[in-house]
Amino acid sequence: MASITIEAITKTFGAVPVLHDIDLSIGDGEFVVLVGPSGCGKSTLLRMIAGLEDITAGEIRIDDRRINEVAPKDRDIAMVFQSYALYPHMTVADNMSYSLKLRKTAREKIAEAVGAAAGKLGLDPLLQRRPKALSGGQRQRVAMGRAIVRHPKAFLFDEPLSNLDARLREQMRAEIKRLHKSIGATSVYVTHDQIEAMTLADRIVAMHGGIIQQVGNPLDLYDRPANLFVAGFIGSPAMNFVEGHCRAGVIETTDGSKVAIPDGIQLAEGQAITIGVRPEHVRIVATPEIGTYTARVDLVEPTGFGTIVHVHLLGQDLKIYTLERGIAVVGQPMHIALDSARLHLFDRETTNRIG
Amino acid sequence: MTSTHAAAPPNGDRRTAKQKIAVRLEPWLYSAPVLILIVAIMLVPLALGVSYAFRDIRLLNPFSGAFVGLKHFRELAGDGAFRGALVNTLWWTFSSVILQFLFGLILALLLNQPFKGRALAQALCFLPWAVPSFLSGLDWAWMFNPVVGPIPHWLYALGIMSEPSNILSDPETAMWGPIVANVWWGIPFFAITMLAALQAIPKDLYEAAEIDGAGPIERFRSITVPFLAPTMAISILLRTVWIANFADLIIVMTNGGPADRTQIVASYIFTQAFRRLDFGYASAIALVLLVLLLAYSMLIVILRQTMLSRH
Ligand SMILES: Nc1ncnc2c1ncn2[C@@H]1O[C@H](COP(=O)(O)OP(=O)(O)OP(=O)(O)O)[C@@H](O)[C@H]1O
Ligand SMILES: [Mg+2]
Repeated sequence: MASITIEAITKTFGAVPVLHDIDLSIGDGEFVVLVGPSGCGKSTLLRMIAGLEDITAGEIRIDDRRINEVAPKDRDIAMVFQSYALYPHMTVADNMSYSLKLRKTAREKIAEAVGAAAGKLGLDPLLQRRPKALSGGQRQRVAMGRAIVRHPKAFLFDEPLSNLDARLREQMRAEIKRLHKSIGATSVYVTHDQIEAMTLADRIVAMHGGIIQQVGNPLDLYDRPANLFVAGFIGSPAMNFVEGHCRAGVIETTDGSKVAIPDGIQLAEGQAITIGVRPEHVRIVATPEIGTYTARVDLVEPTGFGTIVHVHLLGQDLKIYTLERGIAVVGQPMHIALDSARLHLFDRETTNRIG
Repeated sequence: MTSTHAAAPPNGDRRTAKQKIAVRLEPWLYSAPVLILIVAIMLVPLALGVSYAFRDIRLLNPFSGAFVGLKHFRELAGDGAFRGALVNTLWWTFSSVILQFLFGLILALLLNQPFKGRALAQALCFLPWAVPSFLSGLDWAWMFNPVVGPIPHWLYALGIMSEPSNILSDPETAMWGPIVANVWWGIPFFAITMLAALQAIPKDLYEAAEIDGAGPIERFRSITVPFLAPTMAISILLRTVWIANFADLIIVMTNGGPADRTQIVASYIFTQAFRRLDFGYASAIALVLLVLLLAYSMLIVILRQTMLSRH
């Protein structure tokens, strides 16, 4: 087990910059999830920790040892690939014991380690099979098994669940979490699935365009997104954004409606603002009151547990997530309240959170 | 099948015998053109060639043509030149194939690395393949000739030769001339097939192995070799059969000489048929070569099957 320190890391492929000045420290035993849209550089950062990509500038340390120049095999880390990368001509047992054999571990020790890992992952009946004869979920388990037999200092995961169907993904997600609880090894996990990020992470690192946007525990990112990107990325259905300007102590939206400025927030006159409000925080009220809005229902999407209602309001297609069934009928008007404590304000110029 | 049975009329088949025959014949009629072509182009010459082996066919003897049974084969058993040619064939075939394969594999591994100008290098490396075999044979014969070619002088300068002489005229070394020409000419075949197979290996396997602690040699042994093995087996098989039958370079460069030291079975057949004009005897030799190559092919195919089934 180990801590990982990433200091001022920059990566360029040829002339193309991919990562800009990344700083991150990962504590001993911590489970950190790198999340962000496709192409933001998550895999690149992970592969730099693994030693599969050169470091253009900056330094990576594992337990205070600089590893920029250390070969992957000497970093004592294990990686689980999206494609699993199992050796197709070796049995499951051989796949799992390969790294130990290369390290000249004693035969009994190998058998013991493989047995223990297989037990943990329920791979015992599959040990003599080849990867070809396994299902996707089983392959995924073997890939995990191959990583854990070695007791490495850290685990790196690159979208390990993205080739599985939704149900299996949920199951494996829980299993990974359980495994981490029992092994307690430092883990860096890459995904573009925000649910995976929220459920697994001790800390989430949200990335966009090769820049870290926000680092924090999952609920922090949900409750206080640092900028428009994080606000839009975390949460499903995604946050509503309403554009407006600060005029005479209120925010005037593009359609002329007025939204009260939440307490304790100072805005400059004329400042361009984006208001963010999560669909689950928009309230539907029975009767119009002061400060409520009225809008016609455009679309109703039942999701089973809840319902997503689309209304046209504040110059936007505004989504509302409600647990009440039958409350919305397409074409009928509806009264809506926005709690000012639940509003997120962002400066539209800098895209940063205000307050 | 069961569904067609179920669909048949319950009270039996009412078609007349003529109709039944017509139905039976129909598929054969459709495939007749192709079948006739195959029989005419492939089977008839093959059967004719095989039949020659059992007949006395000499172009210069107007009374030849009689059936002679196994006479040619008995003759063959005592033919020292044939036995020499058989040994030379083994030597020629296996050293050519092994060297072509080794250099082809090395070239493929090099071309599989990313570097500047790789596309151009690939194109250049595959160039010898486009040179007609007779031309390359002539080329190499000249290169080995001390009067016009540089190679004897290089070998002399390196101290390998005591004087710049033609290796093609020395019975001890003559076989190396055509082999070198053949290797040069055949490397691209292996390079192309191996490169295609190399590029089909998923890159992350190498990365996983690197993290697992495998060095370059171990990665080659445990990933590259198992992935290439089926391709290696089939391309070596094809090349072996092809080179065993490939007499062009030898005919052009040495014509089997000096003292029959470069005579292989294929060039011996050529000599028997077109110099001595004894088609019967030549066919008998060809038949023996065919049987040997078939046996060899079966062996490799079985080997490949077992290898594939282990995957
Ligand atoms: N070998 C390479 N050469 C050039 N550019 C590369 C290379 N590898 C990645 N890139 C570029 O770097 C950027 C980041 O790639 P990376 O694979 O890290 O993205 P990612 O965040 O993992 O995306 P995804 O979610 O799709 O896996 C992309 O724009 C990609 O095109
Ligand atoms: Mg990726």
